[in-house]
Amino acid sequence: MRARWRAAGLAVSTVALLPAAWSVIVAMPSFGEHVSPYGAAVNAVVPAARHVSNMVAAVNFDLRGLDTLGEESMLLCAVTGTVVLLRGARGEETSGSAIRLPGRAIAQRSDATILICRFAATLLFFFGVYVALHGLVTPGGGFQGGVVIASALLLLYLGEGYAHWRSIVRGRVLSVLEGAGALLFVLVGLIPLAFGKAAFQNILPLGTFRDLYAGGTMVVVNAAVACAVAGGFTLILLEFMEETRAPETETEPGEGG
Amino acid sequence: MSVLPWCVAAWLFAVGIYGVVTSRHYVHLVGCLSVCQSATYVLLLAVGFHWNAGPPIFYDHPPGTPAVDPVVQALVLTDIVIGATVTALLLAIVVQVQKLSGSVDPQRLRPLRPNA
Repeated sequence: MRARWRAAGLAVSTVALLPAAWSVIVAMPSFGEHVSPYGAAVNAVVPAARHVSNMVAAVNFDLRGLDTLGEESMLLCAVTGTVVLLRGARGEETSGSAIRLPGRAIAQRSDATILICRFAATLLFFFGVYVALHGLVTPGGGFQGGVVIASALLLLYLGEGYAHWRSIVRGRVLSVLEGAGALLFVLVGLIPLAFGKAAFQNILPLGTFRDLYAGGTMVVVNAAVACAVAGGFTLILLEFMEETRAPETETEPGEGG
Repeated sequence: MSVLPWCVAAWLFAVGIYGVVTSRHYVHLVGCLSVCQSATYVLLLAVGFHWNAGPPIFYDHPPGTPAVDPVVQALVLTDIVIGATVTALLLAIVVQVQKLSGSVDPQRLRPLRPNA
């Protein structure tokens, strides 16, 4: 009954909002012909002013650095919340055995899977580092590179199984990466204040255009974001993985996963 | 043609909302929320797009060549990353709801009471 009321409410509000939405759609500037002054100014000024070639990274890490700091804190809060929710209900203890559903067959990992995953995970990891490092020059940056690194670590789990994966990927290291990345970002914002400059002012030498070192403080912020995103995402993966572990009391042998 | 991107954004948002309202499973609901969020990606990227303009990355072509708006692209980029972690947070809440109430149906969920 309540579901029906809810659907009726949705239908009524859709009918009511449709004319409003349509008038907004018609009033929008014609697609592909509107040039926003802000974006055009960024494209015109920033390559010479900051010596970086990737405008998206320049907007994220320098021009609107304070915004990105806010997003970085949202990332930190979401990761912390996920970890607290999952670990808080489960407890700190970890066990090596997986939850087994009775009657479900345990598939063995084939050698080909292990081999391909080792190759692919290594390649993907270095690709992630490459994407993060070249973020200010070519498409990429700390956010993208960090996510690629996290997926490389997940691929490692697919190949190696849970126990080996946990011995390679340490939860404490990930927490430190996540926290240190966020802290470094805040420091980059605050340190200029100590020299009597504005917060987030670019105080490092700007480097050369189209070079790996270009953009001054952006290089540091980019690295901080890469650490925070890689650490945070892998931490989330790890906490969800821990959910599939059996409680310590059941002592089932086997590595599983 | 020139209104199509805005219509797509509005349609994606509406479809997501419909999924949220009629959902019978929390994981499905979180997925629908992501559909709603992708409407913002379509809207932002469409706002920044310009015909005959390249990417706002001046590596292959010199600064000064026409390029699309980098500001909205930066917004979409952070939006995607935050969206992924918030989805993880919501899924963690789903896991706890399932543990506490034994149900993942939003329409069967009742308010939690202490000692109930």
